[in-house]
Amino acid sequence: MKETFDRDKFDQMAAEWRYIMTDMMCRAGSGHLGGAFSLVEVVMTLYHRIMRVDPANPHWDERDRLVLSKGHAAPVLYVALAYQGFFPFAWLKTLNADGTRLPSHADARYVPGIDMTTGSLGQGLSCACGAAHAARLDGKKHRIFCIIGDGESNEGQNWEAAMFAGHHKLDNLVAITDYNKLQIDDFTDTLLSLEPLCDKWRAFGWEVFEMDGHDWDAIHNTLTAAMAVHGKPSMIIAHTIKAKGCCLVENKPESHNIKIPDQATYDKFLNSLKTKVPLPY
Amino acid sequence: MEMRFVYGETLNELIEQNPNVMCLEADLSKASGTNPTVSKRHPSNFLNIGVAEANMIGIAAGLASEGKLPFCATFTCFATRRVYDQVTISVAYANMNVKIVGTSPGITAGPNGGTHMCFQDLAIMRAMPNMHVYSPCDALELRSVMRHMATTRQPTYMQLIRHKVAKIFDAEYAFDPTKAIVLRPGRDITLVSTGYMTQFALPVVDELARDGLSVELLHYPSVKPLDAGTLVASAQKTRGVVTVENQNILGGLGGAVCEVLSEQCPTCVIRLGVPNQFGEVASEQYLFDKHGFGPKHIADACRRMAANKQQKGV
Repeated sequence: MKETFDRDKFDQMAAEWRYIMTDMMCRAGSGHLGGAFSLVEVVMTLYHRIMRVDPANPHWDERDRLVLSKGHAAPVLYVALAYQGFFPFAWLKTLNADGTRLPSHADARYVPGIDMTTGSLGQGLSCACGAAHAARLDGKKHRIFCIIGDGESNEGQNWEAAMFAGHHKLDNLVAITDYNKLQIDDFTDTLLSLEPLCDKWRAFGWEVFEMDGHDWDAIHNTLTAAMAVHGKPSMIIAHTIKAKGCCLVENKPESHNIKIPDQATYDKFLNSLKTKVPLPY
Repeated sequence: MEMRFVYGETLNELIEQNPNVMCLEADLSKASGTNPTVSKRHPSNFLNIGVAEANMIGIAAGLASEGKLPFCATFTCFATRRVYDQVTISVAYANMNVKIVGTSPGITAGPNGGTHMCFQDLAIMRAMPNMHVYSPCDALELRSVMRHMATTRQPTYMQLIRHKVAKIFDAEYAFDPTKAIVLRPGRDITLVSTGYMTQFALPVVDELARDGLSVELLHYPSVKPLDAGTLVASAQKTRGVVTVENQNILGGLGGAVCEVLSEQCPTCVIRLGVPNQFGEVASEQYLFDKHGFGPKHIADACRRMAANKQQKGV
């Protein structure tokens, strides 16, 4: 749901999301913190300023769709959807618990508001292409957003989808690469360099943008510009920081999946966050 | 008519009944019989993804999420083993209404040889939760299976024999995935077949009947779900079962039959098919003889099972 931008309010909300996600993962004993934290500002801008959705009607035909192809970042999506009112805040504390509706990877079967089940990297952009092609066939005006990871971009299927979207000029598709420069084992430049990343997407027929993925104005302006592109799909390279805001693991490979074996580690992670907020559950 | 053209014609019929039906190809549309049959008549329902099968499956899942009903065809080896994870997650796990069609199953890949001969598709697709697995044996059954696929919300894999095959069913035939078909009733031996091998099993059973061996032929157009009731009832009567499939004998129809019988009606079973080997460029007869699952071998296995029963006094 679109709302008026208030910098202080959004800053506060970003701090809340990071605090809540940390608590969710600590309760679960582990979690993909790094890649969820790097997406807070992007996902918040999408849901609060850009996308048309209706929490009372998750399958509303005219809604904009979001495919979180890096499905392990699902906690940021869960928090976003809870803030929108798609499901009660109480669900959040059940992340990965036995019988939960909120599994570690994004699951459209159980979570109202999720448009595509993801988790096996490299598949979401193809699914987004299918959804975009269907919308075009039916003359529908909604947009399909798709977030892929930088490590995920190692998967060849992304480039099959890139070729398809470029060839079919899917201008109702806006993709975002969460370019936090880290994958599980190492820095992307060390393990398998993506550079020149912008040139790669341009070569596949996409309009390419770059932005600071933690800057509210840059995110909003870039998304708005990408949505105005005609005749080709858009790729936004979002320069982000993995685990942004969690000083214990920020910009470190070990942020990918934190382990919380005991109460002391739980406390350490929660206390590492600058802003403490009351938990909404 | 070649089965692939039946596939294309039936897709046209389905599209005309439901404009959400879509034909997806991965640069093998002529081999699948949809180009020009579907591509010319319904160009907006036809989508050629290119040589990118993984992408085809993902796009199909995305189309299905928006209410489209995609039929994705390519050679059996690419439709299953190449895209096994994409089908598992984006289709079956996500429970998307995607229909996957594997063309040239088993030894019918003939001239393309071992790299293209997929002997494990029934087994691996059967092992996937949410997935139905069908293998029609003639043109009328193919049409009926496709009509069923287009009217049920169910991730499905179907084998498609591309070439012309003999007529087995008549126009009244209606596919039901929960029912096996007793093509020939019998009392001495149960012979279980699916898809292409039913073409060979049927004349064998008639020939054995002339020799005085009464074989009950069960045709399974659906390998999953598998109609256990018909199988168990037949096995209880005959106490000897032979299976034949255009596949590796591990995990496919023979495997499914053994799973049911071992739990519900322990029975001696002979499984005919490819004995855990890869394929090769060769004629059908050569491969039948090499692996022992052609008409002669089916007849021999039935006779052997009958003799074995007699010896044991079953």
